[in-house]
Amino acid sequence: MRLVRSWVLRLGELFRKERREKDLAAEIESHLQMHIEDNLRMGMSPEIARREALTKLGGIEQTKENYRDRRGLPLLETILQDVRSACRMLGKSPGFTAAAVLTLALGIGANTAIFSVVNGVMLKPLPYRQPERLMSLFLHGRGTDRGVMGVADFMALDERQGAFEHVAAISPSTIGFTLTGLGSPQMIPGTSVTSDFFSVLGVQPVLGRAFLPAEGQIGGNLSVLVSHHFWEQFLRADPAAVGSSIKLDGKSYAVIGVLPWDFHFGPHNELWPILQLQPAKQRPPYWLLTVGRLKPGISETQAAADASLIAKQVHEQFPLSDDSSTMVVPLKDLLVGDTSEALLILLVAVGFVLLIAVVNVANLHLSRSGSRIREFAIRSALGAGRGRLICQLLTESVVLAVLGGLFGLALAYGGVRTILALSPDVLPRMEEITVDGRVLSFTAMIAIVTGIVFGLVPALRCAGLPPGRSLKEGSRTATSGRSAGRLHGALVVAEFSLALVVLTGAGLLIRTLSHLQSVNPGFNSSHMVTALLTLPRERYANAPQVTSIYQQLLERVKISPGVEAASITMSLPPNLLELTNPFHPEGKPDTPGQPAPAIGEIPVGTEYFATLGIPLFRGRLFSDQDRSPATHVLVINENMARRYFPDQDPLGTRVQTGEYNPKGDWYTIVGVVGNVKYQGLGEKDQPTMYVPYFDSGWCPWFVREMYVVVRSASAPEKVVSVLQSAALSLDNQLAIAHVRTMDQLLYESVAGSRFRAVLFGVFAALALVLAMIGIYGVMAYSVSQRTHEIGIRIALGAHRTNILQTILREGASLALLGVAIGFVVALALSRTLAGLLFGVQATDRMTFAEVAALLLCVALAACYLPARRATRVDPMVALRYE
Amino acid sequence: MGERADVWQGTLALMVLKTLQALGPLHGYGIARRIEQTSGDLLAVNYGTLYPALLKLEQEGYIASEWGTSDNNRKAKYYKLTRAGRKQLDKEAREWEQTTEILARFLAPGKESA
Repeated sequence: MRLVRSWVLRLGELFRKERREKDLAAEIESHLQMHIEDNLRMGMSPEIARREALTKLGGIEQTKENYRDRRGLPLLETILQDVRSACRMLGKSPGFTAAAVLTLALGIGANTAIFSVVNGVMLKPLPYRQPERLMSLFLHGRGTDRGVMGVADFMALDERQGAFEHVAAISPSTIGFTLTGLGSPQMIPGTSVTSDFFSVLGVQPVLGRAFLPAEGQIGGNLSVLVSHHFWEQFLRADPAAVGSSIKLDGKSYAVIGVLPWDFHFGPHNELWPILQLQPAKQRPPYWLLTVGRLKPGISETQAAADASLIAKQVHEQFPLSDDSSTMVVPLKDLLVGDTSEALLILLVAVGFVLLIAVVNVANLHLSRSGSRIREFAIRSALGAGRGRLICQLLTESVVLAVLGGLFGLALAYGGVRTILALSPDVLPRMEEITVDGRVLSFTAMIAIVTGIVFGLVPALRCAGLPPGRSLKEGSRTATSGRSAGRLHGALVVAEFSLALVVLTGAGLLIRTLSHLQSVNPGFNSSHMVTALLTLPRERYANAPQVTSIYQQLLERVKISPGVEAASITMSLPPNLLELTNPFHPEGKPDTPGQPAPAIGEIPVGTEYFATLGIPLFRGRLFSDQDRSPATHVLVINENMARRYFPDQDPLGTRVQTGEYNPKGDWYTIVGVVGNVKYQGLGEKDQPTMYVPYFDSGWCPWFVREMYVVVRSASAPEKVVSVLQSAALSLDNQLAIAHVRTMDQLLYESVAGSRFRAVLFGVFAALALVLAMIGIYGVMAYSVSQRTHEIGIRIALGAHRTNILQTILREGASLALLGVAIGFVVALALSRTLAGLLFGVQATDRMTFAEVAALLLCVALAACYLPARRATRVDPMVALRYE
Repeated sequence: MGERADVWQGTLALMVLKTLQALGPLHGYGIARRIEQTSGDLLAVNYGTLYPALLKLEQEGYIASEWGTSDNNRKAKYYKLTRAGRKQLDKEAREWEQTTEILARFLAPGKESA
């Protein structure tokens, strides 16, 4: 307590020095006077009385100095003094200060921005209660690594498990619900969840309540929780709206609660309707994402063992199904997914950029401290301690770095916004990417560390020189700083090797993007609009209802002006494959123990191929004759024909898809068409089967959510309004959603690669510019230091081209050495990029060569100016200058 | 050097407190004289070292100071004991007595147990 009090008082002393100084002087003076008077009274002469009093006191200044040490905080005062003097020094050379602060701001800003992303996506705990206990559960078996669950699995788990407080299932439909009755019909993104979902997350609605267990049962009341945003937009933020009902997909749901405004789970969900599960008669289909909250004290392994036992029991119940165990994965890992790798690589790249910035500023600092060697030599000769000098130089660099950090923070604010705008749907947990306390402390930390790192090199150099030598060296600039020159050189080399590493990474990723964008998707994407149409189950219960609405809709669209062709499909290229199915060719029984290959199967309209411009290679396409219910036909793609029917004509072959059933329907292959990408542009061609959407095996159950594809010469907006009005004129409760042009879909499908290429590209550009500035600065400095030498050479008859060559050679050899070192580092590091590349090897020679050439050109260009300046040295001026 | 100064600082604080208790409010010079007189010639330390000690005691709240006038009509800064200072004096004095007692027992000749 006493200690705290006295420290606070001492801190306070910093601010009222003047008054306390006067006080102290007066006290000492009065002490002396009293002592002298006493001495006089004892009979001393005035002179001796005074001297005796002074001796007894131990010196006025010494006393005052001891007193001062005790009074305030001497260390703090020194630091403040250093900071003040550093600010003064920096203010005196605004050019240097601006260059250094800007460089650091770029480096620190870029790092802060990327760290904000890493922090939001990877480091922050999930925004739910005790998030470390939130897990997701998967089936882990022969066929699948992380398989979602079937209803039987989830229900058994829900009834029998003992490791979790609650478990809940999520229907991972990405599409949403048609909202009717509130304005025109609209598709609202949402996800159905079982009744315990919000207990698992530990989230309470801000209004109303969460689901009751009874609502999760078949026959229970249909209820829905809505997002805060939905409540504001559609329910006028009216508290009385809780308890009212809304129509989703034609069914009436009671709104029972409003979620907190900052609640989110997965991207853009507005509606959380109850998911009521019907007890299963068989184990597949597998479609439920399962989450659970671990009981306290239960480990993931225990929980996995417990759940695996239940999976075993389910397998015994359905012996035909796969014998799988259960895997428990922290929910955070699931939500973050595989973004972490790319983010960490970005963080490393941006760290390299910061290093280059630091090296640059160290170089600047070094050049400047070179010209200040005399100042320090004099101060050191006057008795300033080595530590004291280092301290002062370090203070200067830390002040610079802190300024850089402040500007960097401003850049980072903008940078984070840009990154978020650049990457819709690329990053998970985007809502949580902000500049928060952790980011601020990260920035503060790197700023200070940066300041110390780039300040230490020149500080040690300056303070380490014996004063005599530096004073002498300072007088002969021609020979000054041999070691400084070497240090400058080493820093430039470091810069170029770092730049090469970042540039190669960028080169590889940019090449990946351009390869992806030039992939032939297998169809003609121009003038093509797509939209999703969902038919409510109630009013489209049977096949005729479904086929008739599609037929009428397509007819109306086709006669609209500008429309060339229109059709429907369940899956869209380039990356929206909705469904895969095992397939079994006739006469080739499945090998036991080896599951039949699962192949993308797509129900489409008859004119789908014509609309997309997919070529027919053999046989025929679908036609209206196929509508007669007795025929079942398939069209396969070229890849499937080659892979599964290598030495036979696939046409006329009969196959079954889905679960094998000897008595089931057989499908005849009638045509072979070109390959189309459905699983991303970066994927190899995959086998694909097409089936008419009106096939009795598919219609109406599986084809109520279909994409409409329209090829039209008119503007996309026009096509959309044509579609919208056609749909509404047929059924005023139909909503179209997910409207995109095909070119947009292609563009969005490579968003991840673009995100990485753009960010890496920006960092590489930064690295390049910084390296260029770095080598320019060093060469310019070196030329200015050698004016005298160059003058002598010219006077002695050296040709100006010789001088030019000498300087250029010097710069080029530094850059070359840097490039060579960087080459080795880049070769070692680029392998980590391998997973993110497409169409290019991690050790791509072209990329490496181009980057090296670019760096060398930049180095030569940067050296050219100082080299030219060297050739213009006037020998007379240079010699007189001394 | 450092160690001796520490000892001196520690005991000096106690002496200052004791002096102020015995004589009431007093200026720095007076305290120095009094300590010197009491200790005889044994303590010959610069008066100047007293001032940081006074400052420390004041910062710790054991003494308070204010400007006043001396017997000779001279302006001087007077220090006086606070309540906390009185308590501290009692405590330190007790501790000091204990220490000296223990040391005395150690140093007393011929008392070691056989």
